[in-house]
Amino acid sequence: MKTVLLIATFIFTLSLSAQTPYEKGMNEAFALWEQQKNTEAVQLFERIASAETDNWLPPYYAGLIEIVSSFGLKDEALLNTKLTRAKEFLDNASEISENNPEIMITYALLNTAYIAFNGAKYGMTLSGENVAIYQKALAIAPSNPRVLLGKTEWDMGAAKFFGKSIAPYCEDVERAIVLFNEEEQTVPYYPYSGLERANEISANCKKETSPN
Amino acid sequence: MKTLLFLLLTLLCSNAFSQTTISGKIIDQQGSPIMEASVYLKGTYDGTATTEDGTFTFETTAIGLQTLIASSISFETYSKADDVTKLNMITIKLKDDVNTLDAVTVNAGTFNAGDNAKVTALKPLDIVTTAGALGDFVGALQTLPGTSNVAEDGRLFVRGGDAEETQIFVDGMRVFTPYSPSANNIPTRGRLSPFLFKGITFSTGGYSAEYGQALSSVLLLNSINEPQEEKTEISIMTVGLGLGNTQKWKKSSLSLNTSYINLAPYQKLYPDNNEWHKPVESVGGEAVYRYKFNNDGLLKVYGAYSSVNFDLTQEDINVADGIRFGLKNRNLYINSSYQDFLEKDWSIATGISFANDHSEIKYNTSDITDNENSAHLKLAFKKYFSSRYKLNFGAEYFATNFTENFEDSGFEDDYEFDNNIFSSFLETDIFFSKKLATKIGLRGEYSELLQEFNLSPRLSLAYKSGTNSQFSLAYGEFFQNPKNDYLKYNSDFTAENTTHYIANYQYVKNKQIFRAEAYYKEYGNLVKYDTPFALPTSTYNNSGSGYAKGLDIFWRDNKSIKNTEYWMSYSYLDTERNYKNFPTSATPDFASKHNASLVVKRWIEDWKSQLGFSYNYSSGRKYTDPNLGGFLTEEAKSFNSLNANYAYLISPQKILYVSVSNVLGTKNVNGYQYANQTNTDGLFERRTITPAADRFFFIGFFWTISDNKNDNQLDNL
Repeated sequence: MKTVLLIATFIFTLSLSAQTPYEKGMNEAFALWEQQKNTEAVQLFERIASAETDNWLPPYYAGLIEIVSSFGLKDEALLNTKLTRAKEFLDNASEISENNPEIMITYALLNTAYIAFNGAKYGMTLSGENVAIYQKALAIAPSNPRVLLGKTEWDMGAAKFFGKSIAPYCEDVERAIVLFNEEEQTVPYYPYSGLERANEISANCKKETSPN
Repeated sequence: MKTLLFLLLTLLCSNAFSQTTISGKIIDQQGSPIMEASVYLKGTYDGTATTEDGTFTFETTAIGLQTLIASSISFETYSKADDVTKLNMITIKLKDDVNTLDAVTVNAGTFNAGDNAKVTALKPLDIVTTAGALGDFVGALQTLPGTSNVAEDGRLFVRGGDAEETQIFVDGMRVFTPYSPSANNIPTRGRLSPFLFKGITFSTGGYSAEYGQALSSVLLLNSINEPQEEKTEISIMTVGLGLGNTQKWKKSSLSLNTSYINLAPYQKLYPDNNEWHKPVESVGGEAVYRYKFNNDGLLKVYGAYSSVNFDLTQEDINVADGIRFGLKNRNLYINSSYQDFLEKDWSIATGISFANDHSEIKYNTSDITDNENSAHLKLAFKKYFSSRYKLNFGAEYFATNFTENFEDSGFEDDYEFDNNIFSSFLETDIFFSKKLATKIGLRGEYSELLQEFNLSPRLSLAYKSGTNSQFSLAYGEFFQNPKNDYLKYNSDFTAENTTHYIANYQYVKNKQIFRAEAYYKEYGNLVKYDTPFALPTSTYNNSGSGYAKGLDIFWRDNKSIKNTEYWMSYSYLDTERNYKNFPTSATPDFASKHNASLVVKRWIEDWKSQLGFSYNYSSGRKYTDPNLGGFLTEEAKSFNSLNANYAYLISPQKILYVSVSNVLGTKNVNGYQYANQTNTDGLFERRTITPAADRFFFIGFFWTISDNKNDNQLDNL
């Protein structure tokens, strides 16, 4: 009897304390992504998305990985296929969570992937779209550090192109760093990252705008 | 105790024992395994990726009816609903995704411009930054093969066809008077401003059954669905001023543009060989309103009004004082279109366009008043049965009413006609595989004026022969009612027709495009008359005929030289026709045997400037020398022009633009005019028709005011 009870308790605890399938899946997907197994990571996020139909995070990450991994591609057909897929994921995510600034700026990143591939072909139409996305996102979430950083980086790129000083934008980077540090990280798996990038840009700022 | 054991058993069962194995193999259409494909049960976490030999196996706790999904990049996603127990040891064959960039495209005869196309011959910016094009999209298209350079006209002449054989459509709706009027021997410009469009399809033959009433070519322009932002644009140019403003709301947007052009100051500085009494002055305005409905529906209303006014005297060998020509033209054009996606993969596109064109012409002592009202109504449906099979069908109605009043020293006459055409079309797109596709269409047209019905079949086929290359073929029959110049005097006609045969080879690799296209075009039922000009008293018939055959070559390279893009076009054209009042079959005076152009653009980072050059060459055109007898037997000298432009970005929102056509000042000849009577030596004297001016300068300053500090008008130039 005791043994039976023990086993029963063991099994109960196992099924209670164990991760939910969502947590297990997300952790596994992030691990795959970390190991650069992008295809597998996307596929797992896609599967999670198919099960968690009211959660925007799984399709968001599936799209994000497709976009990030398409930078540096040489084959336009593959680039287009990957980014088309990424857009489907993001469309799916924004259907679940409308006017979500995190998803909006990822659309801008998708456009940037096209522009980086061929600025002459895609730059004219997509760069204007990006500016509009950042403006809208900033209006919705003025203290979202990722939105602020994304917009600032974009403006810096344009300033550099025209040989202008990037100094005025460096203040925004510092402001983003403050916002990053103030941010309360409460939602599990929410894309809170970006502080590292902000610090990098800040360091670059100090180097470029220093008097010597 | 028993209950406890039972409970335990149940728990164990649900936790461990009810697992089902799903397994199988994923292959492509050739039977080769697909690795790294994703396989999973929809709505569960259970799934995996295929291994190198295409096999997969995973466990699931799900029971009953489940949907298995298999997907891989560049294949169509597969789904199968079945009981989980039956999803074991199955073989799944994935079909190639035909919507990818590397799939075959049915493209014989067609050039795409804009960023929406798979292969873009011209990029959005090219339309407006091609040297010599002077911001006119027609000018940029003339650097593509298949077009003949007719410097004194400015319109599109495609593959041995005259300018009237090309029709222009905006959002599927016909543009009835696409060109601004101009005096004889002065090139015209397109009325539509290029920055309204995001995509341009230029077909030099063999085009879709959706379009008709064009013997040679169609130019399809798609307008922008949504402007990116609110802005104000100011242009100050050597030839006039421009002002534009765009407003955006939640679901709608409005763009307004106005322009005032006056060539008087320019002509004071650089007089040309015409005697201007009133240099060209034009006032124009256009507005586009766009409204997005909740259900993806999009309504666009475009309206444009322009008035042009000029008066000049041009040299003429038979008239000592020259010929006086004055024109006052006003033109109103409205184009509304609505498109929407319906349920079950249907979509609808409908629209109406209307044009009123009114001209008062003074030709020496004659006064001519022309009035043309035209309308186009269209309703079309599309059904996507799958990505491999699409159906497109619709009906349209064209109505034109033309009146002319002619008055000269007491003589007065009126001419009028109604040219109404009802047409319907049906077309299907079929992808047999990623490598083989076809488009089959049929168009029927009934002309009320000519009281005849014509049926035109269209067919094209494309085969992808390698990773980067493909072959295409196209065939089609095309009908067009005789032009207004004849219909106003006579309506006992039958429609003119052409048959196109096209073979195309295309090689695209890494920002390089090579394209070669051979064609044969047969003309039938061309209008003939028996007087020096088309007159009310002429005798007309449809006995004319002709042919055009040739080869078009295009090469574009954006890769080999850093920061530099260039493209080269060459067209060989062999054409003869017997039409109008030709006594015999001959090469018409607008056709040149060889046409070539080279366009180079270089972005100079340090100067924040784009430097552009273009070089156009066309071999001499035919003319008749009455001293020698014969008809269109002599060849004038060839045409050469080197053009340059320079755009300097002063700041992100201020641009200085300088453009010079024919930098070298090459003395080109547009043709010769012979005297009607012989001189005392028994010879017909002649006058060389040269361009009004050898060079044309353009300097403009463009300033954009918007929240977005990076936007500029480079795309307007």
